[in-house]
Amino acid sequence: MSRILALLVVGVALLCIPLLGSRYLVDLTTEIIIYALFALSLNVLIGYAGNVSFGHAAYFAIGGYSCAILLTTYQWPLWLSLPAAVGLSAGAALIIGYFCVRLTDIYFAMLTLAFSMLVWSAAFKWYQVTGGDDGFIGVRVPTLLEDRMAFYYFALGVVGLSVAALWRICHSAFGRTLVAVRENPLRTGFVGIDVRKMRLAAFVVAGTFAGIAGALFAMYNRGMYTESAFWTESAQVLIMTLLGGMYSFFGPALGAAVLYLLEVSINQYTEYWPAILGTLLILIVLFLPDGLAGLAQKMRRSRKA
Amino acid sequence: MLSNPTFLFLQTFNAIALGMNLFIIAAGLTLIFGVLRVINFAHGAFFMLGAYVCYSIVEQAGNFWLGVLGAGLALALLAWIIERGLLRRLYARDPLAQLLFTFGLVLVLGDAVKFIWGTEQYSVAYPAGLSRAVDLGIAHYPAYLLFLCGLGPVVALVLWLGLERTRWGRIMRAARQNREMLALLGVNVPLVYSGVFVVGAALAGIGGALAAPRLALTPGMDANIVIECFIVVIIGGLGSLWGSFLGALILGLVTVFGAVLVPEWEMVLTYALMLAVLLWRPWGFFGREQG
Amino acid sequence: MRKIAEIGVAVLLIVALGQGGWAVEPIKIGVLYPTSGSGAVYGTSAMLGHDMAVEEINAMGGIGGKTPIVTVARDTKLKPAAASAAAKELITKEGVDVLMGGLSAAVGLAISEVARREKVIYIATIPKAIHMTTSKLHPYVFRTAPNTDIEGRGIARTIGQLGAKKLCQIQFDYAYGHDLAAGIAKALPQEAAGAEIVLDLKVKLGATDYNTYIAQIMGAGCEGVVSGLWGAAFITFAQQAQPFGFFEQIKYVSGGEIASHEIASKMKGNYPDNVWSNAYELWYHDASPLHKRYQQELARRQGRPDTDGWPILSYIGVKFIEAAVVKAESVDTQALIAALEGLSIETPVGRRTIDAKTHQANTGQFWGPMKKTDEHEFRIMDPVTYISGD
Repeated sequence: MSRILALLVVGVALLCIPLLGSRYLVDLTTEIIIYALFALSLNVLIGYAGNVSFGHAAYFAIGGYSCAILLTTYQWPLWLSLPAAVGLSAGAALIIGYFCVRLTDIYFAMLTLAFSMLVWSAAFKWYQVTGGDDGFIGVRVPTLLEDRMAFYYFALGVVGLSVAALWRICHSAFGRTLVAVRENPLRTGFVGIDVRKMRLAAFVVAGTFAGIAGALFAMYNRGMYTESAFWTESAQVLIMTLLGGMYSFFGPALGAAVLYLLEVSINQYTEYWPAILGTLLILIVLFLPDGLAGLAQKMRRSRKA
Repeated sequence: MLSNPTFLFLQTFNAIALGMNLFIIAAGLTLIFGVLRVINFAHGAFFMLGAYVCYSIVEQAGNFWLGVLGAGLALALLAWIIERGLLRRLYARDPLAQLLFTFGLVLVLGDAVKFIWGTEQYSVAYPAGLSRAVDLGIAHYPAYLLFLCGLGPVVALVLWLGLERTRWGRIMRAARQNREMLALLGVNVPLVYSGVFVVGAALAGIGGALAAPRLALTPGMDANIVIECFIVVIIGGLGSLWGSFLGALILGLVTVFGAVLVPEWEMVLTYALMLAVLLWRPWGFFGREQG
Repeated sequence: MRKIAEIGVAVLLIVALGQGGWAVEPIKIGVLYPTSGSGAVYGTSAMLGHDMAVEEINAMGGIGGKTPIVTVARDTKLKPAAASAAAKELITKEGVDVLMGGLSAAVGLAISEVARREKVIYIATIPKAIHMTTSKLHPYVFRTAPNTDIEGRGIARTIGQLGAKKLCQIQFDYAYGHDLAAGIAKALPQEAAGAEIVLDLKVKLGATDYNTYIAQIMGAGCEGVVSGLWGAAFITFAQQAQPFGFFEQIKYVSGGEIASHEIASKMKGNYPDNVWSNAYELWYHDASPLHKRYQQELARRQGRPDTDGWPILSYIGVKFIEAAVVKAESVDTQALIAALEGLSIETPVGRRTIDAKTHQANTGQFWGPMKKTDEHEFRIMDPVTYISGD
């Protein structure tokens, strides 16, 4: 009950942001909801399926670049470009995931890293198409969405629908089976579940929604950059997910918001942001294994008691 | 180019020298994983610190070898503090926690380097006596690289003998298999763990100091080396000493000859190699197959 | 009586202020440089130059004695996404009038795109990417840094003057490397007639081992090398090439400002022979009063007389804004754009003019060989030739 209330409050708040009249706030919130979706998508893999990926940025990048290129170079309309871009990232996730799910643990993680660095290399080298390391600048966004507020509502709508879809997926039988696979792959295998297929499905779901986030990112920035495919981007979204709490559905969204806000605000005071982020990470690992969401749950429970 | 025997000869030596330097660093990584089961992302940061410490010692004392020794000792001390204070709380936790911890270390240590030494780029001179080229008959070749070619196998041998023939080595290998049993047998397992982490970090520091004359010391130099180390231990098998030796050689050869044969695709090569190994034989040449 | 006097003074003041021309409110400049990560060495240098210029101007009461400059700085971390977000924040939240800075091409282009959409002036003080003032040019972007065509010409002229005909090229395999190679290729026919690049090597960005390239260049028997290996890469390359005797016969002409004092002072005795390169400013060159004043202040801030060569770029950027505000008598964007086009100012390193059409300043660089001297541990450029950006 309190969960639904919290969601309503957040939802209403998000709808009202542009009405506050601050361009900066609209920009900031747009950036946060895009990263929140990115982190939520990763959690399907980490939190639900229990597979840690170091290469999630690949699908974000593929979604972003595809959308940018289709919109600008090929002048496709948005209602074609966006689904096509998402389809491409889903397809990439399917192909890459097929190979990755044959491995587990650190080997799985390393393989996802290797694949994502290959995606990065492709973005880097194929400069006639992607702009290379100059970045793909000047994405053509439909006139309707050129206004800041209009784009915000569009992004909010897309993110909202995506989150709703993710919610359904994670709380369906599929999602519950994923958790079972995460907890005990051996036993679930004995019960007749094709563990590998489940993990692949999770991989594809994660990649698809990361692609949506990437496409929104490219449109928002009017550009796509090779940095978005580099392993540091994968590491950042991983930290967001873990900071928020991987055992909760909305945890990663919270983590994304907190990390992004921290980064932006601390940046204004010190150049030693990496040290602060690193210390934060170490503290979370040592004292807050369930992330901020876990902390919130503990506080709620201790209040009830 | 490749038909030229001198060129081939020189490049092969380059590959070996590169590989041996890499091996000394990666040996620490594989040792830490082998016994502690910790993937030490901070290994590159240890390497970087070793290089910077060496630079400072050379600036002050003027002796390169003192710099190498100092780098090893400094990293040993740092590793001791990190392990005793923080890392050991994470042994019971899942690998993800340990990974994140080491990643946090990377960020903190990186800024520490920036804070202490600044953002400028430094260079370390070759040690006197090894700064020029040696006439090998076919061609002239830098003495320092020859030194590295020779040092690698020596280090490998010393480490191997240490693991196989000494009591401490036996204990380390036993800790890899069954730490509970070892504790029951009265061995101070926490001390062993600290020891392994210390030795691994010291190796990275020494590797960094040894690499210093050939590189520019700059913040961010840890990022490249950590990826290369990971590729080396994956090729060789996580936890295997001779695996890292072989892996380092292979990576050295691929890097050097890749740059000659397919220069446009150089950046892709290392990841393609990693991919190939993980797809074909994920546990590497000498690793143990996953259960 | 007193009341009338007070009102009178107030009226006079209001009238006077109204006559003042432009507003007494400060002009806010948003500055974007990398102060963390691998770009930090350049970012901190750039901030030094920027702060110096701003403090100099504000010490006299501001631009024209009345418009103080307020700086708001953000760290780009060398990431275009972060730079883009920071640029937007500077405009929407901090309300800056002008954006300045950038380091890498990607960051510069990202900021330029934000400037275009938000209709705010952006002065690129460091990025050399050619596209910024060609295919991606728009009314709001200006560049006071040189570009890769200008730099390429400098390399071509230098190698031409040395008379080297058989050339090897070594560049990084990324945008700057490609652009610089294109710039060299464009200029080579005029500046170095008869010279030909027989070996073209591309190095992956972040490479730490150059042995293969060293061997190939030496094996090809080139008289000269044209290079774009900048910063730490040059240090690494030089350290690895020296034991092979690379620099004994080959003339190494490089862009990337490796003749800057930053590099020379760090390498000291390790700096090789036979190297010609460029620098934006040399503390030991040019005794003009403007340069001397600049040098003295920079030396005071850095705590040593041998100062770095990078701060000059951001310094000049601020001076251009100052001149533009004086000329336009306003901080209004359109007025400033009109003022900047064709604007010419005296800087500590000579006269600089912004082209009205391309928005590119004719920023040249100092070129010359790096020689050992007895007075210093480090090498200095001698003789120094200025190759203009025209």
